Amino acid sequence: MSFFNRLRGKRKRRVVVIGLDGTPYTFVQRALELGRMPNFARMLGEGTFKRMNSVHPCVSSVAWSCYMTGKNPAKHGIYGFIDRKPGTYDTTIPTSRTMRSETLWEILSRAGKRVIVMNVPVTYPPRQVNGILISGFLSPKVEKAVYPPTEVGTLKRLGYIIDADPWAARESKDKALAEVNAALDSRVRALLHYMDNEEWDFLQCHVMETDRLYHFLWEQMDTDDPVYAPRFWEVIARIDQMLGEVYDRLDEHTTLIVMSDHGFCTLKYEVYVNYWLAQKGWLTLPENPPQRLKLADVGPHSLAYSLDPGRVFINLRGREPAGRVAPGAEYEVLRDEIAAAALEDMRDPETGAPMIAHVFRREELYHGPLLDQAADLILVSVDGYDLKGAMGKETLTFKGDELVGMHTYDDAMLWVQGQAIAAEGFCVTDVMPTVLRLMDVPIPDDVDGRVLI
Amino acid sequence: MAEQKGFTLWFTGLSGSGKTTLAKAVEQALRKRGLKVERLDGDIVRRSLTRDLGFSKEDRDKNIERVTFVAKLLTRNGVATLCSFISPYREVRARSRAEIGNFVEVYCECPLETCIERDVKGLYKKAINGEIENFTGISDPYEPPENPEIVVHTGSETVEESTAIILRRLAELGYIEPELTGAVVYSAEEETEVEERLRALGYI
Repeated sequence: MSFFNRLRGKRKRRVVVIGLDGTPYTFVQRALELGRMPNFARMLGEGTFKRMNSVHPCVSSVAWSCYMTGKNPAKHGIYGFIDRKPGTYDTTIPTSRTMRSETLWEILSRAGKRVIVMNVPVTYPPRQVNGILISGFLSPKVEKAVYPPTEVGTLKRLGYIIDADPWAARESKDKALAEVNAALDSRVRALLHYMDNEEWDFLQCHVMETDRLYHFLWEQMDTDDPVYAPRFWEVIARIDQMLGEVYDRLDEHTTLIVMSDHGFCTLKYEVYVNYWLAQKGWLTLPENPPQRLKLADVGPHSLAYSLDPGRVFINLRGREPAGRVAPGAEYEVLRDEIAAAALEDMRDPETGAPMIAHVFRREELYHGPLLDQAADLILVSVDGYDLKGAMGKETLTFKGDELVGMHTYDDAMLWVQGQAIAAEGFCVTDVMPTVLRLMDVPIPDDVDGRVLI
Repeated sequence: MAEQKGFTLWFTGLSGSGKTTLAKAVEQALRKRGLKVERLDGDIVRRSLTRDLGFSKEDRDKNIERVTFVAKLLTRNGVATLCSFISPYREVRARSRAEIGNFVEVYCECPLETCIERDVKGLYKKAINGEIENFTGISDPYEPPENPEIVVHTGSETVEESTAIILRRLAELGYIEPELTGAVVYSAEEETEVEERLRALGYI
């Protein structure tokens, strides 16, 4: 930097964001107390570390979409990992094509900043940026996941892996760990490669491997399993080492942010909301159902159905092709009935404790031009009860030994280097305008998030 | 479909940066969607609406002022209005933005050397030889937008690429419906694989 620029303080601020998918604030506190994250411990006091809320529903596709747009789902249009095609009973997988908003890195690109974005969910297919974008979860293959495509060669050379294979991970805990470790190694390799060899003003690396580790091994960590708890902590040590490697590379003009999108806890039961709706008589399924039931198999007499997680849709006349419920009073009465019943009837089969903590009507959570695409009711479970949208299950609850962790809403985390954060009760949507402010780039008017620094 | 919302796409950039070419391509794409479109082009406007004006700073400002007035009326009446003008001064563009309202600034970023190389109208040659005064980029400044809604890099992108960027951004801004067709996001095989991943993680 030239002498004059230094005098004028003109050197522009750069930002690095490391996303640790699903990593809870309370878990990191515990890891710090146990001395399991020595690198993060040495960085910690240099910034503000706070608990953060996710969004509803708290799944990565929605939470990271809110993060990258700084907006609520009724403005970006991503409400889950699957969604209805408007006016049909067909489902579709939301992608960057269906995302109806500009993203943080596109705004930065427009402002002339060079960005490198790696592995963030719902960025497939890759949209153009001023720099490099490597799409994350639900990209089919590296060859199609990269902008500009000329980067494919580099990634192949680095042995880049988009995501751990979840079917292999289901086979055994050992395979889950092998998948997670291989993907994590490739991620760190690529991250350090781009940090060291490319020009950038903004760099984001998303670590999906934490979410996979927690889904498949959280309970083993939580119960201090003699075989798998130590191996769980080995992965955390690798994550911590990565944070140290990134931190040690930064200069005084760069701000590091470490964040997650939701928390995690041990899964007590998977809860099948469509089974419950059917039991209550609100959902009818065919008598001789095909092996894999789909939304399209919902019977013509159905009044409601659910998509993952806890999103309940009313079979509304004029909106659904075979809608049964009249808009207006009939719709409102049914919403009230289902909401009350969910809170009252959905109970732990063993203890009788309620499994639903809260039911939101969509207008309580979302506001914007795409509100019509939202579920009519959003059920929020008590931690431990994982609401599922599977059709055709023959029981309300199930506990297997493959998926043993589930997401929580109020336990995401945020650490911002060199900044004080006075706010409490903020959420992932607030990080994006905060990054723009740090980088001195104007915040678009329609952003919902607030600046935290 | 809901009633068409009027907006003005304001293409700014050096002479030869591709403003008119892009505006024509976007015009075609919007017409295909059944939208009412009007195109106001620097070269054409100067032969009619503002034929009395020259290229001094004052006359250039007047030129943009009149065009802005027309664009405002069109926009107010639900027309997609495409304006391509060098419009080199930030302050003047800011005035147009304030006046028109639904204003989408498209910065056609292209290196001056590329524009000189292209020199479609032979104007750069004349300007460099001193035959034209006050020529943007040569003897008059161009002030690039600080925060345009859209930036297209016309030196490196194809017309199709830049057009796609503009259409996507217009959809994001809520001025047009998003394009539902286009290149296949997932092949049938990939879609099955992606669904299986979601199933393995319990999301389906």
